[in-house]
Amino acid sequence: MSSLQALQQRLLQAVLADKTPKLPELRGDALADPATRLDVYRHGYRIRLRDALAIEFPGLRLMAGRRFGHLLDSYVEAHPSAHYNIRWHGAGLAAFLEFSRLWRDKPALAEMARLDWAISSAFDAADEPVISATDLAGVPAEAWAGLCLVPQSHLQILPVTCNVDTFRRAADQAAPRPHLRRYPRPRHLLVWRQELTVRYRVLSEDERPLLNAALREESFTSLCELLAEYHDPNQAMPRMTTLLRHWLEAGLISAYRLESTHDS
Amino acid sequence: MNMETKPHRPPYLGYGLGLRVEHYETLLEQPGNVEWLEIVSENYLVPGGRPLVWLERFRERFPLAMHGVSMSIGSADPLDEDYLARLAALARHIEPAWVSDHLCWTGVQGINLHDLMPLPYTEEALAHVVERILLENVSSYISFADSQLTEWQFLAAVAERADCLILLDINNIYVSARNHGFSPLDYLDGIPAQRVQQFHLAGHEHGGALIIDTHDAPVAHAVWDLYIEAVKRYGHVSTMIERDDHIPPLAELLAELEHARALAAPLLQRAA
Repeated sequence: MSSLQALQQRLLQAVLADKTPKLPELRGDALADPATRLDVYRHGYRIRLRDALAIEFPGLRLMAGRRFGHLLDSYVEAHPSAHYNIRWHGAGLAAFLEFSRLWRDKPALAEMARLDWAISSAFDAADEPVISATDLAGVPAEAWAGLCLVPQSHLQILPVTCNVDTFRRAADQAAPRPHLRRYPRPRHLLVWRQELTVRYRVLSEDERPLLNAALREESFTSLCELLAEYHDPNQAMPRMTTLLRHWLEAGLISAYRLESTHDS
Repeated sequence: MNMETKPHRPPYLGYGLGLRVEHYETLLEQPGNVEWLEIVSENYLVPGGRPLVWLERFRERFPLAMHGVSMSIGSADPLDEDYLARLAALARHIEPAWVSDHLCWTGVQGINLHDLMPLPYTEEALAHVVERILLENVSSYISFADSQLTEWQFLAAVAERADCLILLDINNIYVSARNHGFSPLDYLDGIPAQRVQQFHLAGHEHGGALIIDTHDAPVAHAVWDLYIEAVKRYGHVSTMIERDDHIPPLAELLAELEHARALAAPLLQRAA
């Protein structure tokens, strides 16, 4: 190991340490001793990460309230940053809240962090094409059975047990903190970007399995069969048409492909 | 030390600002006398979405320079190939007037401190950096017992040996001079003029015994004085105001930019 490498490793550990250690490599003078000088970096590291995370997690900030600072500090202490983009340190926050002994008895916090991060990720996800009803109008009737929709690849479906979307909306509108409400049964939130605007909404009970099947690029026939489990035969096809129209209008579908339905 | 190598220098761009989200709309509608923009490279190393749409709009209106904070050229770790590939792709796309980063390290052992950590000014660190390239002087609060050179000797030697240009942050010189008790004029005198491509001007704050480089306040009087000294020594150098926190209305930054122009104009006329 070179002496430069050894010096940088000791300095890094000094910045990350709980308390300011003594580093004989650093000079002090009448203006400030080495510990005071080192503390500028120690303080800066924590503040910088805390500020960056606060921007990425507005819903969590609102939900955690006065605990938010402590929550971020506990994460930063447990997980040094590894990515060059400071924003990306937020990628592990939801998992930390879910499993950390400090926070795991408050599962709403992890759910909230997961929604905030999904919104943040969708914000600058790769641009993809969007197809419209006009594009599908050109598909021959006999080919629809083998039609596979290709959803936007940034699209995320998040299971939630409480009203995290209400918290995020309130945070974005600088509205007062809502009451935390637990759902009797889990719901699912869809997060996606329509052109440049990130959107999220609760998925209906029949829409979630259908969208999951579309994400697996299952055929239109499979999608219709799935929907038939939720509706009687007379209602399934009109419902399918409605959902498909909503997906296309919301910019959820980036392409389609046609599978051959003939047996070889 | 050989200071005679004459580097290739990109064009002089005049007076610019750092591009910040808070000014996006105003800057496109009422750009005032802003001649060029410096972007923080990392803000646009993203796959898609709104940041790149905005960047395209600014690219059509202004010459751009890319300024990064993550190259970590002084780190003992290998350079981050993924970061460099993304940076190169962005540079190919927006064709900036130049690309710069800092003479510092930001992490080691795969951990990122998200800060511009100073290097010891030693032959070993010098040899390590010149194999890699670029650079801006950083402000610092610590110094190393092993340093053999002054900061300006180190910066000048890096630029000469690596044959690269210098982004001279006038505020950083002032901050480090105060924190370490050296003369900022000695610093300016020690930098080879033909390698100075750009100036940064920024604000700082007093944090107890030390001055902290916060970029969250107007340029201080003492930094303006040092800017005058820099213009006397280096002449026409593309100049921009850097503000990263407590972002004021655009008009306040435009006024600072006009102040920079007004200070430099008589000196540049006299030199012409």
